[in-house]
Amino acid sequence: MRSVGVIAILAVAIALSISMLIARDAVSAKINSVRASTGNTITVSPKGFFGFSGGGTPLKATKIDGLLSIANVTAVQESLSEELTSTSTSLKSPTTAGSLGSQFGGPGASPSGSSTTFSIPVRVIGTNSPGNAVTGGANGGGTEKLTSGKAFSPTSKADVAIVGSSLASKNKLKVGSTFTAWKSKITVVGIFSAGSTFTDASALMPLATVQKLADASNQVTSATVVVNSINNVASVQKKVAKAVGSKADVTSTEQTVQTQLAPLNSVKTISTYTLLGAVVAAALILLLSMLMIVRERRREIGVLKALGAPNRSIIGQFISESTTFTIIGAIVGFFIGVVISSPITSALVSASSGSSTASNTGGFVRPAGGASGFTGGGSGFTPPSGSPSGGALHFGGVTNTLSQIHTSVGWTTLGFALVAAVVIAALGSTVATATIVRIRPAEVLRSE
Amino acid sequence: MLKVENLNKTFHTDAGDVHAVKKVSFSANHGEMVAIIGASGSGKSTLLALLGLLDAPDEGSIVVDDVELANLDSAGRTRFRSRGVGFVFQQFNLIPNLSAKENIKLALEFAHWPKEDRDARADAMLNMVGLDTTKSDRRPAKLSGGEQQRVAIARAFAAQPQLILADEPTGSLDRSTGQKIVELLRSAATQQQATVLVVTHDEKVAQKADRRLEIEDGVLRELA
Repeated sequence: MRSVGVIAILAVAIALSISMLIARDAVSAKINSVRASTGNTITVSPKGFFGFSGGGTPLKATKIDGLLSIANVTAVQESLSEELTSTSTSLKSPTTAGSLGSQFGGPGASPSGSSTTFSIPVRVIGTNSPGNAVTGGANGGGTEKLTSGKAFSPTSKADVAIVGSSLASKNKLKVGSTFTAWKSKITVVGIFSAGSTFTDASALMPLATVQKLADASNQVTSATVVVNSINNVASVQKKVAKAVGSKADVTSTEQTVQTQLAPLNSVKTISTYTLLGAVVAAALILLLSMLMIVRERRREIGVLKALGAPNRSIIGQFISESTTFTIIGAIVGFFIGVVISSPITSALVSASSGSSTASNTGGFVRPAGGASGFTGGGSGFTPPSGSPSGGALHFGGVTNTLSQIHTSVGWTTLGFALVAAVVIAALGSTVATATIVRIRPAEVLRSE
Repeated sequence: MLKVENLNKTFHTDAGDVHAVKKVSFSANHGEMVAIIGASGSGKSTLLALLGLLDAPDEGSIVVDDVELANLDSAGRTRFRSRGVGFVFQQFNLIPNLSAKENIKLALEFAHWPKEDRDARADAMLNMVGLDTTKSDRRPAKLSGGEQQRVAIARAFAAQPQLILADEPTGSLDRSTGQKIVELLRSAATQQQATVLVVTHDEKVAQKADRRLEIEDGVLRELA
């Protein structure tokens, strides 16, 4: 009966540790998943710059180029956004102003939003990363794909362009066609489609070309710094901010995501400490139980020693006893732990999320690779891996997503159960073993 | 042959030193049964513990068949206890979760008796002490006091030790059963050619022995 009691208590302690391990793993997986989905990029833009709706002073290209020397930075994608009006280009924008255009962007737009007649300018983006730049954000863009022709090289200085499919269609452009911009003849080398009317109404040109033609030498309006690992984003962000100075905004999703992940990190911490506590408690339970058993069987141990049993033989018997308790407790505890892990995890996450809801309300996450404002931080054909929608803004509902955690049991958990059982049995047997060694048969038998 | 010379043992307690055994010397032959009598606290159990290597003497010599035991290290003492000496206790001290036969086989295991012979040896010993064969698989709790002591005697003699130390072997038994147990010890000593030392305060038990020694305040003397 006593053995059953010891096993039952051990099973409860091991069940708790298993459920905490599973909770910890599930939360860790969720944290990694969320962090991975936010990408590993840092956006640098002029302070106050938000597309053509903001202000600021253009960044110096030479300074931005220097960011590549920062440790853990693998690439720096630069872009210079410009607008071509009817006086500076032969192109006509395929976009009609409509009432929104009149309200938000058009010259002469009235405060009431009533429309006046104006032409939407053609957006040109100079980029040094035509095949791997970023698009989207408020542009509503997706992945840009070449539908014909080819991309220009990142270091190109040629008067060439890749035009969006809508722009090409509106202006009857094909690969090899030409148009004028800043009084220069530009040759179309490719046509792309991004699935967005706004983005498909723009043109990509070599950064150096746009800087030269737009008289914007050494200027960029946005840069995306690619970091080798999500784990290094925070440290690189600090170095980038220091390098570019106070006239630039340096943003990444890291900090926002960390805030959002705080409840999960809290659960992870709680589960880690509870896990360790449960293992220690189980070892302590076994230790005290074994000590009690050894004390109760002191006479038997004395007799065994009198009969010539070596210490190792007696210790071995007690260790096998404690190991049996632990293994049975671990098996029972494992299954109980697996069963209760899901509700415990949910409860922990819910409780933790609930306590931090107030601080999260109204926040948003803008995944890395996002555009800097309505004109985008650049354009390209393939968004960085893990960027879910090319920089779309996700408002508050992230917390709800974070609470959806799925628990699962893997070999790691099984391995932990085994290791924990061994550790518990070993720790639980130590004092009992020491007590056995100290028992002197003469004293035990003298008390007869 | 057992030969003890100038054996001394002092316990250091808070109340002062207790000289439990003082310069004890005696000898006993194979097959001989020697009774040691004395009142409680006279030092007889301490003497037995010293002879059984359950405790170490402060000084003196214990020689069994020309082997000096007092100087053995821990492993040597354990080895001697498993093969050279058998204990019979007042409270029997059988292992409660083992059957009568398993208790004997356990002693044989500690003595490194050949594994394949242990079963037969245990049966032979149970037969020697006259335990009903149908009871050999019973645990101690299912045996009477006399039966338990028989099993204890069988266990003590199982590994053919040179020395048997019996501490008040009849103390927990009725007079009739006690007499039978003493006779059993007497015959086993002869049959196994072991030296049997019986510590007792019962004069009738002592009278069954070949010789009687009395211990008083740690000093041993031979009685006529």
